[in-house]
Formats: sequence, C-alpha cells, structure tokens
Amino acid sequence: MAAITLKNIVKSYDKTQVVKGIDLAIEDGEFVVLVGPSGCGKSTTLRMIAGLEQPTSGDIIIGDRVVNDIEPQDRNIAMVFQNYALYPHKSVKENIVFALRRLKVDNEEIERRLSEISEMLQLEELLERKPADLSGGQRQRVAMGRAIIREADVFLFDEPLSNLDSKLRSHMRTEIGKIHNKFGRTSVYVTHDQVEAMTLADKVVVLHDGYIAQSGTPMEIYLNPTNIFVAQFIGSPSMNIIEGTLFNDYLDIDGYHLPRNQLSNVAYQAPITDSGLKVKVGIRPDFFNDKAFFSETEITFNFTGLTIDLIEPMGFDKEVLFNLAGSSVKARLDLRSDITLGAKIDLLVDLSRVLIFDHKTEQRL
Amino acid sequence: MTPLERAEAKFGWKLVTPTILILGLLILYPLMYNVYLSFFDVQLNGYKTFVGFENYIKLLTNTDYYSAIGTTSLYLLGTVVGTTLLGLAMALLLKDPFKGRGLVNAAIMLPYVAPVISVVFGWQFLFDPISGVVNYLFVDALGIWSERTNLIGNPDSALWVVVLFDIWKHAPIAYLLILSKLVSVSRDQYEAAAIDGYGPIGRFFHVTLPELYFVLATVVLLRLIWNLNRFEDVYLLAPNVQTLPIFTYYQAFTGVIDQGLAAATSVIQLAVLSVFIWFYIKKIMKW
Amino acid sequence: MLGKRTLTGRIGFALAILLLVSFSLLPFAQILSTSLKHQYDWGNPSLIPQTINLDAYKELLGLTEAKKVEMPAAIQKILNNPKLPQDKKDAISAKYMSNDNLFPFGKYMLNSVIFSVGAATFSLVFSVMGAYSISRLRFKGQVVIQRSVLFVYMVGGVLLMVPLYQMAMNIGLASSLWGSAFCLFLIYIVQTLPVGMYMLGNYFRGIPFALEEAAMMDGCSRKEAIIKVVLPLSLPMLATVFIYCFIIGWNEYLFASVFLKQYPEFHTLPLALQELFVSKNAIWDRIMAASMLTLAPIVICFLFASRFMKGGKTDGGVKG
Ligand SMILES: Nc1ncnc2c1ncn2[C@@H]1O[C@H](COP(=O)(O)OP(=O)(O)OP(=O)(O)O)[C@@H](O)[C@H]1O
Ligand SMILES: [Mg+2]
Repeated sequence: MAAITLKNIVKSYDKTQVVKGIDLAIEDGEFVVLVGPSGCGKSTTLRMIAGLEQPTSGDIIIGDRVVNDIEPQDRNIAMVFQNYALYPHKSVKENIVFALRRLKVDNEEIERRLSEISEMLQLEELLERKPADLSGGQRQRVAMGRAIIREADVFLFDEPLSNLDSKLRSHMRTEIGKIHNKFGRTSVYVTHDQVEAMTLADKVVVLHDGYIAQSGTPMEIYLNPTNIFVAQFIGSPSMNIIEGTLFNDYLDIDGYHLPRNQLSNVAYQAPITDSGLKVKVGIRPDFFNDKAFFSETEITFNFTGLTIDLIEPMGFDKEVLFNLAGSSVKARLDLRSDITLGAKIDLLVDLSRVLIFDHKTEQRL
Repeated sequence: MTPLERAEAKFGWKLVTPTILILGLLILYPLMYNVYLSFFDVQLNGYKTFVGFENYIKLLTNTDYYSAIGTTSLYLLGTVVGTTLLGLAMALLLKDPFKGRGLVNAAIMLPYVAPVISVVFGWQFLFDPISGVVNYLFVDALGIWSERTNLIGNPDSALWVVVLFDIWKHAPIAYLLILSKLVSVSRDQYEAAAIDGYGPIGRFFHVTLPELYFVLATVVLLRLIWNLNRFEDVYLLAPNVQTLPIFTYYQAFTGVIDQGLAAATSVIQLAVLSVFIWFYIKKIMKW
Repeated sequence: MLGKRTLTGRIGFALAILLLVSFSLLPFAQILSTSLKHQYDWGNPSLIPQTINLDAYKELLGLTEAKKVEMPAAIQKILNNPKLPQDKKDAISAKYMSNDNLFPFGKYMLNSVIFSVGAATFSLVFSVMGAYSISRLRFKGQVVIQRSVLFVYMVGGVLLMVPLYQMAMNIGLASSLWGSAFCLFLIYIVQTLPVGMYMLGNYFRGIPFALEEAAMMDGCSRKEAIIKVVLPLSLPMLATVFIYCFIIGWNEYLFASVFLKQYPEFHTLPLALQELFVSKNAIWDRIMAASMLTLAPIVICFLFASRFMKGGKTDGGVKG
C-alpha cells in the first residue's frame, strides 16, 4: 500500500529544464491522471516515479520511503509502456509470469494468478503465442496482464491506449477502470486524451510546460479551471475565449451587458476605473442553449440577435458558429433546436458558468 | 550526479574495463612503443641500442623504400578504383529481386569470407605458366600472347595479379555497402525522373549517382584504410610484390633483420593511416 | 531499371550474372578440380578431372595406411656400412622414414580450431560487455572510448608486428612454445574484439530500450535484464559475431608466422599450408586438397551465418 509524494521535483537534460518544480500528493489507492500537451513532461514525471530517470532535484516518496536512491526494480512498481515493450522472445504466458518466476513464487500460485488474469483479460487462447503474432489490442492486454499479476504497490501507465483504434480504446478504458476498482492500487496514468482523463481519474493533474497548471477532480477541472490553459485544454470542443470589459456593475461583451452580481467571479474586489477593465471571458460551448432547454429557475443571460455563420450537425447535438466581439464562438445546441443558417437567433447562457480571466496573466480573476 | 546515476556509470566502467585493458595493452601501447623502437637499432632477440634518427635517415635514403611507396600507390589506385567500380556494377545488377538471387549473393560473397591462404593457391594455379588456364587461354586458345609467361614470377606483372586478386576478394564488401544505400533510394525519384524524360542512363546519372555519392566516398576511404595495411593477400600470392607492409615484414623478420628500421616504416605508415581514419571517423562514421 | 523486360535485356542480364558468378567461383572451382586430378591431368584446362583422384584427401585425413617408404639403394648401402655408429644410422633412416606423415592435417586443424574458437569465445564475451556498456549505459568518457575502439579497429596488424614481437621478447614469452602460443591467442582476441564491439554495439542500439526498462519494472537488476532479455534477443547477432571472429582467427597468417614459425607442432592451418607450399613436399593436388579442407569450415560457417542472420527478432515486441 503506497501513497506517493513528489516534492519540488526538477528534471533537467543538460541545461534545459523539462520538469520545473512539481509538488504532488497522491493518496493510497488513488487513480491520478497526468494530462497535458505533447512534450510537457508527463512521461518524464512518470519515469522519475518509476526510477527510470533520476530527478535533478527534489524528493520522491513512495509509501514511507524516499526512493530517490532506490533502483527501479526495488520500488515495487508495475508499469505499462506505450509501445507495450513485450519480450519478443518469450511467449505471452512467459511474458506475464516473468516477474513472478523471478520472485520464485511457487508454481501453483503462479498458475492461479495467471488463470485469473488471463480470464479477466481474455488471454486464455493466446498464452502460447509470441508477441509478434498478436494484434495491437491483444498486445495491449498482455502488457496489462504483465503489470497486474505482480500485485505491485503502484501501477504506472504511459499512454497505454494511444496505439489502439478508437473503439478498442474506449473498450480498454472501461477495462482499466474495472481493474482499478477491483484491485484499488495507487495508479498514475499518463495520457493526452482528455476523455481518458475525465472518465478514469480520481484526480486530474494538468501539466503545462513542466509545471502543474491545475490539479483536482475531473469536475473541478472542468467547471472551475483556474487559468485559460486548463480551461481550453480540458473539454471538447474547447472553451470559447472572448474579449470583454469588466465594469463595476456588469460585464460588457460586444455591447451585451451581463449583470456582475450574478457571475461566478464576484470575488474580484479591486476598484475598477470608469473605463473598465479589459478581461477575457470563457464560456464553454455546452453552456449555450436555446431558451426551450433551460428551466425557469436557472439564472441565464440572453444573447439576442446572433447571426449563425455555420451549422455542424454532430448526431446527438449540433454545433453552431457565430461571431461575438470579433471572435468566432462555438455553441453546442440540442439537436432539436430549430436553427437555420444566416438566421438571427437568441441564445441563453448559464451565468454561473461564465468565467472571467485576467487579460494578461490568463488566470481566473 | 545522483547515486543511481553513479551506480550506472560504475557498472559501465566495469563492463568496458577488460576491453580497455586489452586494447590499451595490445594496441595503443604497442603503437607508442613502436615510435620508441624506431629510434633504436633493434635485434630480433630484443637487444637495443639508441641510434636517434638514424633509422629514419636510412629509410629516407633507401631507394627500395621509395619503390615500395610507388608499388603501394599503384596497388591502392588499382584496388580502390577496381573494387569500387565492380562493387557498384554488382549492386546495380543485383538490386532488383530475381529468382535465385540468394544463391548468387552467397556465391559472390564467398571470396570475401574464404581464407586467403586457400584461395591464393587457386589463383597461383590459374596463373601457373605450365598448367594454368590463363596462359592456356591467352597463348593457346586466343593466341594473344606469343609465349607462356610466369605472370606471378615477375614483380611488375605480379602487381596487377595482386590487384585483381584484391578486387576479386573485396568487391563484395563494396557491393554490400552500395547495395544497402541503393535499395533505400525511393522509387518516386526514378519515376519522377522517368516522367521528366530521362532514360535509364540519364536516370543513373541524375538520380542514382548523386544518391550514392556519400556511400561511394565511404567505400573509397575504407578501401584505402584497409589496403594500406594489407599484408597476407599480397605476401601469400606474390611475395615479390613489395608494398609497404611487405617491405616492413622483410625488414623485420627476414634476411638482414633490422627491426628498428621496420618500426620507423610503421611509424610513418601509421601517420598516413591516422589521417585516413580521422577523416573517416569525423566525416562518415555514425556510431 | 535495366530494361529487363525485353528479350535482349534478359539475356544480357543472365549473361552478366553468369559472368559475375563465374568470376567469383572460378578459383574455388580450380582448387576443387586440381585437388581431384591426377598429375598427368594438371595441364588440361578443363575443370573436370578425367578420373577422380581422392588420394590427396585420403592422405591428408590419414585414411591411407602408412606407406613403407622405399629407401634408395645408395642410402641402404650407407646404412649397411658397419663403421657407421648406430645413432648416426638411426638419424639417417629417420630422416628418410619420416616422410610417411608429410602433412599432419588433423593436428594443424586442431590447432586452428583451438586458436580461433578460443579467441572468438573470449572476444565475444568481452565485446558483449564492452558493447553493452558503450551503447547503453550513460557515463563520461563513453564517446572517447567509442572512437578509440573504432580507431583501433582500423589499425592493421602490420603496424603492430614489430612492437608486439618485441614486447613478447622483452617479457620472455616469445622464446618459449607456450608463451608464443599465449601471445598469439591474445593477439587474436585483440584483432577480433573491436569488430565484435562494433557489430554488437550497433545491434544493441537497435533493441528498444523499453524492453530493458520493462524488465527492471519486472524486478530485474540491470545485469539480469541483460542476461534475461538483451542476450536472448541478440542470439542471432551473437552467433554472427562469433562466426565472424572465428573466421578472422581461422584465416590469420601474419602473426601466426611471426610467433609460431619455429614451433611446427603449433602451426595453424594457414601457416602449415604456406610451409607446405614452400617445402619439397609441395604437390599441387596435396596443396589443393589441403586448401579445400581449410576452406570447407569457413564456407559452412558462412552459409550458416547468412541464414541465421535473417529474422531479426525484435519487431513485434514493440509498437502496435
Ligand atoms: N533523454 C532526453 N534528453 C533530452 N531531452 C529530453 C529527453 N527526454 C525527454 N526530453 C524532453 O523533455 C520534454 C518532456 O518530455 P516528455 O517525454 O516527458 O513529454 P511528454 O509530456 O510525455 O510528451 P508526449 O505526450 O509527446 O509523450 C520534451 O521536450 C523532450 O524533448
Ligand atoms: Mg510521453
């Protein structure tokens, strides 16, 4: 059983810092997902936890040990690699039980765990094959099996699903969720797929350029992003960012006046001059809708007379584009919305979901 | 450095230590010792007297040395040109798959792997003045030469036999190097050139050759490096062809033994060789 | 590209291949042919013997009964001279009788096998260690070592023969049989080690590092990861390197002649063959048969190695 703590972890290659001071506490049994754009240091962070890279400074604590000076093989960690890294010369079975054989676990126990795991992952038919004779999805399952059978303290995953097609990916995503529920091990999962992040995580950690941009539960990250980077990175289609001006009583967007006291960011206390404060306003496409789909009780604002430039039916819903304050804004509307191209329509937005960011720092006000 | 990195470095050094010791003791040290020896009069039994630059002076005033340099130059010229051209021809010929290519491949690689000592006798027999098929062909069958000649017995003609032998034995290497580059040239380029109206010859000069430029340079340099040191192939086939290595061997181990002089010869040769090797490692090698 | 589709193109292609293969194989055919010919047949340019003569092979492989050597009458007379002391007589008769084993091929072959297999084995072990170290482990000085190995790889034996001989002389090894053999053994290791390291270094680099990391995640130490994952994956290459080193040792002549010339019992095949060639026992069919037998193991190894080398086994374990 193991909690993981990262204390001010820095990693440099030669002179360039790629991880720039990460503090993170992962509770025992927690499923933490690291997300972020390519090159932001996700894999590097994960590999430092594994011991495959050494931090330039800072401490890594697993359980109650500082593991900085402990070899990877002695950290009791299991890992699933992006390209699976199955041993090509060993059969599926030997791949899976390799670690146990090394530990001299007795044969009966090995067979018991093997059959349990191969049933769970549907590998029974494949045990005697070599990795070269497996499909991508099968290899992925073998890699999972190899990691699980160890019953290690910590599971690490580095983009385990990125080589699968989308259908298989969502299937395996569910499987990983089930496995985690079953074994309840501390897990750290790297991905740049936000659906995986949202569905699997107890806690999402968004990395940006070597820093933690924000961490929290998936819903926190989604509803309350603390900066524009996180706001736009999480959620699809991504959040609209619109120029606006904040006054003492209202928020001006392209001539629309949104009453200040009903916005979520009322915390901003500093006095505002008469000319107002330039801000960036974030509204998720999902939070726009037709009047018909809001209940009476919700506090909404009506953007009247918008001209629709483009309609993209997506199946269950449709996305429409219109212009607001010089930017093209996207809204996701119910399929039943009766909208035609070029027509003038009214769109309502849930006021508590309108976020205001500092124009320069792009942090939430 | 963290302790784990230090452990890795330590393990790394532990693994290369035997190699470093062996190579240092038996190659790098001897090379330096050779320089030292070149300033001595050295007997076969190890007895040495310091003579300063006398070995070098002796060497540089020895006409045999210059003639060895001349022979070596001709040898290098002939083998480098011949090997590269034949290798290129082989690669072009065998580039596209055909039935039996595996066998042909094995057949043409054979000269390269075969022991020099064995094949040398085959060659000697081929050129034998009495029984050899070469003389039979040129004298009896074709009538080009008026009388049977001992081509290997005469140092002047033996040089060209030795050159031919080296081409025969080492063209496969050139072939392999060139082929691996040749098959990586994308078809698109040929197709584009064909569409631009180039025939096979035009395509060779405009597509193939520019792509091969680098690998051909590699082949030439490698041939120079290896053939400058070539001993057995020459000595065993025609001991009368005195390229530098053979010249050195005679000085060191036969007749009037003068190992100091041999050392001096080697020192000069190493200097030349080092230039080639430096060039190779710097410009071509990606390890 | 060569216009192989037209008939003339095809014929030209076939002719070119034929010419090339003949050029490559002619000397081998000549060796085989002469080794099987009777002496009266040598001058015949045809490669096919009029009658097959296996005597040379039989003799080399010790399949013929030791022939009673006819002693020339003149010698017989000397031996019958009662004034001659017995030991002188023995010496003379020994000189004439010793011809019955002209060329102990088996012994030379054994010497060659011992030297080249032994050296190749050591060389393989050291080059696995060295190549792994410089291709996979991170430490300062790696690049320098790499370059030095490459440099050393290209320094030919001729540049080393004098200093190595003198070094062996200085520490007294060159003057004893076992010392000389030991020196030669070391030299063969040195001559093959850089090649082995070079080949294996490149090969190791092609094995995905993630495999070793996976092994470490499975609880292996670095050493275990090498033994249990890297080496099994490298088997074809290890075999190839071994064979390559073996061939180098088997074919070597220069140092064998420098160190072993005065010890006939330890002659390797190339040295013995050359000695035979310059001796009074040089007969073409015997030489050619010996050449053939020296050649055979190499050809077999080569065919084996080229088959073994296909199927680099790393794909499949990595990448979907
Ligand atoms: N061995 C290395 N030497 C130098 N730079 C490295 C090394 N490994 C990674 N980097 C750099 O560190 C940065 C972070 O790399 P990392 O692999 O952690 O990114 P990532 O977030 O996992 O990206 P991706 O989503 O593409 O996998 C990148 O800019 C990368 O170029
Ligand atoms: Mg990554």
